[in-house]
Amino acid sequence: MKRREISRRSVLKGSLMASAFAGTASYFGPWKENRVWAQGAAKPIKLGLTCDASGQYGNSGQDDLRGIQMAIDEANAKGGVLGRKITWITADTETTPATGSRLAERFITREDCTILIGAVHSGVANAITQVAAKNGVIYLNTNSSAPSEAGENCSRIKFVWDGNGTNFSKASVANAVNSIGKNWMLLTNDYVWGHTTSAATKAQVEGAGGKVIDNLLVPQNTRDFTAYLLKIQQAKPDVVATAIGGDDIKALREQVAQLKLDGKPAWINNQQDWPDVWGSPGSLFGVFGTTWYHKLALPGVADFVKKWQANNKEGSIPVPGNVSYNGYMATRELLRAIERAGSTNNVKIIKELENLKVSATDRMQHFDAYMDPVTHQMQQTIYLARRNPKPADKTDLYEIISWTEPKAVADTDAQAKCKLVPYEQVPTVDS
Amino acid sequence: MIPTPQSDSARLITPTMLVLWLVLATVPFWIARVGLYPYLGIEILIWSLYALAFNLVLGTAGLPSFGHGAYFGIGAYAFGLCQFNVVANLWACLAAALAVAGLAGALVALFISHRRGIYYAFMTIAFGQIFWTVAIKSHKVTGGEDGLLKIARLPADFGFASFDLAGNVAFYYFVLMVFGIAVIVLWRLVHSPYGRVIAAIKQSETRAAHLGYNVWLYKASIFALSAAVSGFAGGLFAMAQLAAFPDVMSLHQSGYVVMMTLVGGGLVSFWGPVIGVFLFLIARDVIGAMTNAWMLYFGLLFIAVVLFRPEGVAGAIMAAWQNRSLNSMRQQGGTALRLLLGGGRWR
Amino acid sequence: MFDLLPHILNGLTLGLLFALIALGFMLIVGLMEQINLAHGSLFALGAYFAMQLMGPRPPFPADLAQSWLALPLGWRYAATLILAPAAVGLVGIAIEFCMRRTYGKDPLYGLLLTFGAAMVIEEMIRLTWGTRDYVLQVPQAVNGGFIFGDLIWSTYRFYAAGIAVAVIGLVWLLIEKTSFGATVKAGAHDSEIVRALGIDLTRLRLLVFVFGTMLAAVAGIIVAPIWGIRPHMGVDAVIPAFLVIVLGGVGSFWGAVVAGLLVGLAVGLSGAYASEWSLLSMYVLLVAVVTFRARGLWGKKSMLEA
Repeated sequence: MKRREISRRSVLKGSLMASAFAGTASYFGPWKENRVWAQGAAKPIKLGLTCDASGQYGNSGQDDLRGIQMAIDEANAKGGVLGRKITWITADTETTPATGSRLAERFITREDCTILIGAVHSGVANAITQVAAKNGVIYLNTNSSAPSEAGENCSRIKFVWDGNGTNFSKASVANAVNSIGKNWMLLTNDYVWGHTTSAATKAQVEGAGGKVIDNLLVPQNTRDFTAYLLKIQQAKPDVVATAIGGDDIKALREQVAQLKLDGKPAWINNQQDWPDVWGSPGSLFGVFGTTWYHKLALPGVADFVKKWQANNKEGSIPVPGNVSYNGYMATRELLRAIERAGSTNNVKIIKELENLKVSATDRMQHFDAYMDPVTHQMQQTIYLARRNPKPADKTDLYEIISWTEPKAVADTDAQAKCKLVPYEQVPTVDS
Repeated sequence: MIPTPQSDSARLITPTMLVLWLVLATVPFWIARVGLYPYLGIEILIWSLYALAFNLVLGTAGLPSFGHGAYFGIGAYAFGLCQFNVVANLWACLAAALAVAGLAGALVALFISHRRGIYYAFMTIAFGQIFWTVAIKSHKVTGGEDGLLKIARLPADFGFASFDLAGNVAFYYFVLMVFGIAVIVLWRLVHSPYGRVIAAIKQSETRAAHLGYNVWLYKASIFALSAAVSGFAGGLFAMAQLAAFPDVMSLHQSGYVVMMTLVGGGLVSFWGPVIGVFLFLIARDVIGAMTNAWMLYFGLLFIAVVLFRPEGVAGAIMAAWQNRSLNSMRQQGGTALRLLLGGGRWR
Repeated sequence: MFDLLPHILNGLTLGLLFALIALGFMLIVGLMEQINLAHGSLFALGAYFAMQLMGPRPPFPADLAQSWLALPLGWRYAATLILAPAAVGLVGIAIEFCMRRTYGKDPLYGLLLTFGAAMVIEEMIRLTWGTRDYVLQVPQAVNGGFIFGDLIWSTYRFYAAGIAVAVIGLVWLLIEKTSFGATVKAGAHDSEIVRALGIDLTRLRLLVFVFGTMLAAVAGIIVAPIWGIRPHMGVDAVIPAFLVIVLGGVGSFWGAVVAGLLVGLAVGLSGAYASEWSLLSMYVLLVAVVTFRARGLWGKKSMLEA
């Protein structure tokens, strides 16, 4: 219990140390040094990491950060990108859109960050996107999986790296309607990810001939689910599909397990993030989606886990999960794209990322992945899992029951909804 | 009554205002050199306006309103919704922010103006929570917890010339101009005969009623006025953030404006709220970047101020510069605090 | 259309919990005319202390911890119900020592002081335990669910409601039927007479305050398994507690209990029809009552209004 999570303070210290080692400016007063760097070639590339440290997604945000840091450390160990060091700064976005907006302003205009990385909550991601787009700053949405992120809220400067609610629904719903039953009930976290994900689920259910008998909206930060569980019992659905995230889903899972409601009705949890699962491993039930698992029987996975563990000995989570993985992959691909572009010009990097293709081996997934140039969402393998009845060790909580190739679960409606501004309208940014 | 040299209270523009405006006008030239950034300047000006409006209720009228964030937030939503659904005109939408928040304030005033003390305070909290919940739940209208996004900084069209406010510096000067005008209006309001009646009601409702003033009407109208100006500031805030978010309406953030006003010295000085906002927002940015526990320190400062230095920072400055006795300021602050909740009769 | 009965029952249990949360707050307001805004933070502190005691690393020396952990869960839980509130009581003593400077002054000073104390305690909780959620272990006997009227109910919820009834009853007996209660009540309303009778008023106030803070801690432990343990839980508790007192009327014991039940029913019933709006219902209820009744349901004249 004494173990403390990484606080924003220690993280900031880390960033201070990193920048001090890189021979750069101290935290106060970056402006003068910047003028000097502008003439030299060794000026570092500075990333702003917008990760939640508190609020509903505080745990996930910090796990995201661990993955991002790992990719940066690897690049720096190889001598940086384009011969330049990578430095970074982070602060707590508090799972609050307004805070995300303010910090994005600060990172861009005061800290001279030319790229922003990090998101779990889609409302926060939206707020950051607006500020980044105004300034032409590239923004990597690592972990927020609202379908609207690659649909109506897409942006030329934003790239989305997580599988989204539609992808997961496509992988799970049609099958469940046929094998379990046609009467569905939805439990929806009352914000953009919940709404758009449940809408995707509903479309899938109805497409497969099923019926949604009710959709209950759950306010963020709900802990007492009694009223909802009573209504579910009264309505007697075959399947309950949830789009609930963070600490809320942990509380729900515990209460469902306590009442032994986890068998009937059947539960489908759209996506379970590893930090939420690890926070309450005893109450895992139902079928749920993920993009990666630390015990996938694929080459490179074991090595990746070892490296990650060596970097994060003190953390509250013992192994990397999908959140850390997404953060790592997004950052690694960004840094590689800068190298390939041979420039830090934002439009050049954007064009590189739009044509991104990553082999299955390189992704440590079952299928090749690619960036959709129209929606800016990474198209990747989608896994379905359930509680592992025969765990090999105490972290072995999932039994992976299926993997689906990107094309089969692609969000085909997103392309029509997403309108990217032309390159000429993106303000030029160069670090 | 809020003390100011007699000559100043009769003026349209005081020397303090002129100096403040001049200093603020130079901000974009040096703000980056002290490690801050223009966007912070915008937030500070907008919150200052909001806190000045709030202090009409807290300092001038002595009414404990703890749910004022609601009107700030309503103004922000009104601005955005006007822009999207009515007309994308800066002046029309700022007027809408003012009017809608004023109406909401007037509606609430109907319910609370006959209440006092703790019951008044809690009614303002209850209404604040109601507006906040409605904002979060009305997805179709407000965007819910994700906020109302894509609000544009509309160009300022003066007829003879139109200015683009998209850049932070241009927008800063626009906000400064609006702030300047609003300060004059609020200054005149506080020092008008109307403002003096409000101050008399703060001292004793019974006495004011005996003198023939309709106490209820005065209490209700100052609350609605304060809400309207808060909403106007909220409209500016929506432009600054390019979005309207519900969290400024939460109880926490409503508490912040109370803290800023009290720490700054809003109970003894017109300028107190502005000082409090400067302190709070700059501290949040600078100290908040170094430690998570910065609210702890601000909280301790707040307790120290209300328990031992009720005159606030403004009181100390006035004592030093205008040659006033610190003790008299302190007594005045203490009395004002007491009037807020306890009422004069317990002294 | 579905049966409303389950939602009424759910609302009643919730209402008893609200009343339990408000109890300590009400005692301090009613008997001392002080608003203890730190009530919520003490409530949270009770839950955190209990979690630490029930968790795998109890705050004892190694050998004592060994034998503590060897005890059956039920025994540890019962002991925690006494130990954690006692520890919170110590914090209460510290607050009371600061607060006694404000007696005789305006109640606003106490309110602001405890507001500060609330912020300090909440930040301390964040520093000590971080921002994550914790779960409080409870004995098997009160865990799990039972079937009633075709529905599975949470056993713990009814256990918690039962404890709430018991604690409310005991506090009422203590205040109304014992000489201690009589002295305390007299002290609140006319301190000079009490002093003339040779009773140590300073000690009396300390006792009342500490008793109130311990009740906050008990409520925290009882409610923790339902609401979860997190830094924000104090604010989540103090607002309904304050609301229940204002709704019931300052100084009225049964007013607060009835108000708690009303708030619970309002939340429970609105949860049946429009669950996403249910939190709003308590504020609407308050506005509806206080608009027409100046001092809530059964409030007495007090120095907290002027």
